[in-house]
Amino acid sequence: MLEVRKLSAGYGNDIVLRDVDLTVAPGEIVALIGANGAGKSTLVKCLSGLLPPRGGTITLDGERIDGLSARACVLRGVCLVPEGRQTFGGLTIDANLRLGAYVHSQLDEASVQNLIDESCRPFPALLPRRDEPCANLSGGQQQMLAVARGLMSKPKALMLDEPSLGLAPALVSEIFRLIADLRGRGLAILLSEQNARQSLAISDRAYVIENGRIVACGTSKDILASSDVAEKYLGVGHKIGDPKSAKQTIMTARLRKIMGVP
Amino acid sequence: MSSFIQILIGGLLQGGVFAAVALGFSLVYRVTGVINLSQGAFCVLGAMAMYYFEVAFHWPTALAAVLSVLSVAAFGVAVGAATFVPAVARLPVSSTLVLTAGLLTFFEGVALIVWGNQPYALPPFSGQAPVAVGPLRIPTQGLWLAGGIAAMIAALWLLVNRTALGRALQACADNAMAARLMGIDTRRMMLLSFTLAAAIGATSGLLVAPITSLQFDSGGFFTTSGFIAVAIGGMGSFAGSIVGGLVLGIAEQFAAYYVSSLFANTLALLLLMFMLLWRPQGLFASGPVRRLDVRADSLVHRALVRLSGRRALAVGVTLLIVLVAIPQLPLPNDVLSSLTISLILFIAVLGLDVLMGWTGQVSLGQAGFMAVGGYAAAILSTTYEWPPLAGVLAAMAISVVCALALSMVTGRLRGHYLALATLTFGLLIDSLTVGLVDLTGGPSGLVGIPSFAVGAFEFDTTERMFYLALGLSAVLVLLLEGGMRSQFGRALQAVRSDQLAAAALGVNVGWIKVSALCISAALASLAGSLYAFNFHFLSPEMVATPRSFEMIAMLVLGGEGTLLGGLFGALVLTLLPTLVQSLALYKTATTGALLVATFLFMPEGLFGRFAIWLSRLGGAGRTRSSGAAIETTAQ
Repeated sequence: MLEVRKLSAGYGNDIVLRDVDLTVAPGEIVALIGANGAGKSTLVKCLSGLLPPRGGTITLDGERIDGLSARACVLRGVCLVPEGRQTFGGLTIDANLRLGAYVHSQLDEASVQNLIDESCRPFPALLPRRDEPCANLSGGQQQMLAVARGLMSKPKALMLDEPSLGLAPALVSEIFRLIADLRGRGLAILLSEQNARQSLAISDRAYVIENGRIVACGTSKDILASSDVAEKYLGVGHKIGDPKSAKQTIMTARLRKIMGVP
Repeated sequence: MSSFIQILIGGLLQGGVFAAVALGFSLVYRVTGVINLSQGAFCVLGAMAMYYFEVAFHWPTALAAVLSVLSVAAFGVAVGAATFVPAVARLPVSSTLVLTAGLLTFFEGVALIVWGNQPYALPPFSGQAPVAVGPLRIPTQGLWLAGGIAAMIAALWLLVNRTALGRALQACADNAMAARLMGIDTRRMMLLSFTLAAAIGATSGLLVAPITSLQFDSGGFFTTSGFIAVAIGGMGSFAGSIVGGLVLGIAEQFAAYYVSSLFANTLALLLLMFMLLWRPQGLFASGPVRRLDVRADSLVHRALVRLSGRRALAVGVTLLIVLVAIPQLPLPNDVLSSLTISLILFIAVLGLDVLMGWTGQVSLGQAGFMAVGGYAAAILSTTYEWPPLAGVLAAMAISVVCALALSMVTGRLRGHYLALATLTFGLLIDSLTVGLVDLTGGPSGLVGIPSFAVGAFEFDTTERMFYLALGLSAVLVLLLEGGMRSQFGRALQAVRSDQLAAAALGVNVGWIKVSALCISAALASLAGSLYAFNFHFLSPEMVATPRSFEMIAMLVLGGEGTLLGGLFGALVLTLLPTLVQSLALYKTATTGALLVATFLFMPEGLFGRFAIWLSRLGGAGRTRSSGAAIETTAQ
């Protein structure tokens, strides 16, 4: 169980997060949705030890992890798959995966192989190309590699920051489907996304963040149904049933069909 | 034929040492993205430790060698943890580059204090008698050297390519943020690479010391040779470092044998200039691609501090009155003459400020333009008996032509490569001033330079030279102060912050950079000429590359982008050793240490600090903008 209580954080003189409360239980996928600059990335940076928080607590299974280094966080089982993939482009896929298990230096070669097989099971396309430089992979495959690399650290809580960023629409659905498949592993998964519709579709619960504060939380179904969220993050009309907005919805749907957006 | 092979073997041995230094460069560059100019100094430190353990303490050679490497590595850990690693984490890459130049100066200064200025040679590991292979004679130490360096290369290759630690080092080089997320302690990896490079340097130093005698400032030679090697081979490429080192060593040996030993270095530098033009990424391009056009990078930019309006006027007028009054005080003559030298150097530092402080283009070759100016003016007025004023102006024109020629090379270069091209230029001028004996008098210098004169008025006393230098620097400060407030000055600053953004706004970035370089070269040339006329003598080491580093130290210590700051830097570094004679021995070490410490603890410099203090003093309760204007660019 990953628990965040009254967390605040910022850069220099700017406070970005204020009194954020959030929990993610093992086996559930929790979506964190919000616009650009709302504080999603700052929150996951705090959780992964890249940014020391200004106040509040972060605990994993009851143990305080706030203020720890990134290494200590990975060792305790909190792992971030960063925004923009951030794979090691000059290294091979195999080296990327092995670096994912860097903190588990005591593992022998057989266990590392098992771990690689286990982590890549959702992404079978990666295995045959293990000795290629990772820069050869497409954007979607690099995202898969980034997730697999995150799994290599044997995390209890896995955070995915904008996994759909910069991917072709068809690949976006693929990535979300793969993330939904991770649910069976008993991980606590926090999915930070701008693509609200798809992340709400695969998550169990969701938090909406605005200007560094959590403004709504609940089951994904409830959030999806809330008209406020729909208006702000899903790009649908003002009032359901309004003829003008119904027309708009149809227009939007048509436009989406043309653009290939699901 | 056998002499050919003999030279080839000599070249391979020398090249081996260059390759080892180049490997150190590449290792640190790959992990931190910084070229560590202090790399060559570790060779000297290694040899120095070996000298004490083996010759002074009479310990067995093997034990002494191991202890030497370990102690230099320990020293490397301490220095790296205290200076290099925090600098990489906090400062823009180019500042870190300059900081490592400061470390080089510091190490040389330390070696000077400990070792004195005598050259030292170590006894060969296994006797003086060379091994005879047919008609060839190979010194046994050469075999030790070749074997030792080959073993180091193999060990490093295994470490980087075959171990988890090596993978972590590569990960830091590739993507430091992602490496942190993998639980890799990136700071520790940087320190590790710095320390490994120090150990490599120490090992090659103690292996080569029995062949070539070393002295306190040999570190600069190893740094420049290793740097040329790594630039030829490709920054960050291990194979490239080795090939580059060997090519350079062989080329230098052949040049020394078939052309002239005075020009061996010149040819190597011309080779490098050609490489920078033809293939700046080196023969073996490798390593991560880094954005090189922004001096600030992603790191928080150092604040530009400037006094505004009335305060600047008050400070300037006060300063001028004090300086004008100084010669009327009963001061010892050497104080007045070192004040004169400070003012002359300040003119060159002003040029450097325009280029480095305002335009963000690091130049490690400012002394090269001083040399061009000094020698051109001196030769014209001595050999050709031109009036000194005409000589000075002609020298400035020649320097601007040199700057334009250099821009043809640097125009395509950015970031590191630009800094390194200017370093190459400085070294090229160094080797020419030494090598062109007929023109420059060679290493012993040019004598009989007349006093500076305008018409019949001769500046033949210290006091007159002082007023000349003061008048010129005051006029230049006023001119530049106005210039920096103009649209041109803003364009310089735009290039400093982000070349791409500046170009997008229609700033002709190339033209701005060339103009800044020309202004800087002209001022350095003027300073060089005055320097020669002041001393009536000019020798290569008065205007050699260490002088470039010293002027950077003056600029940074005084405050970059403040114009007046350089004066304070020049005063501190010139006047202190004169006032306290016993400090002279410590001058080199202090210069380096001050440069490093200023970057780490007072990046705004002495004058910047003073400006902030002054604005806080008068501006309590008012907003900051009414006092010193503090600009921060980038994030």
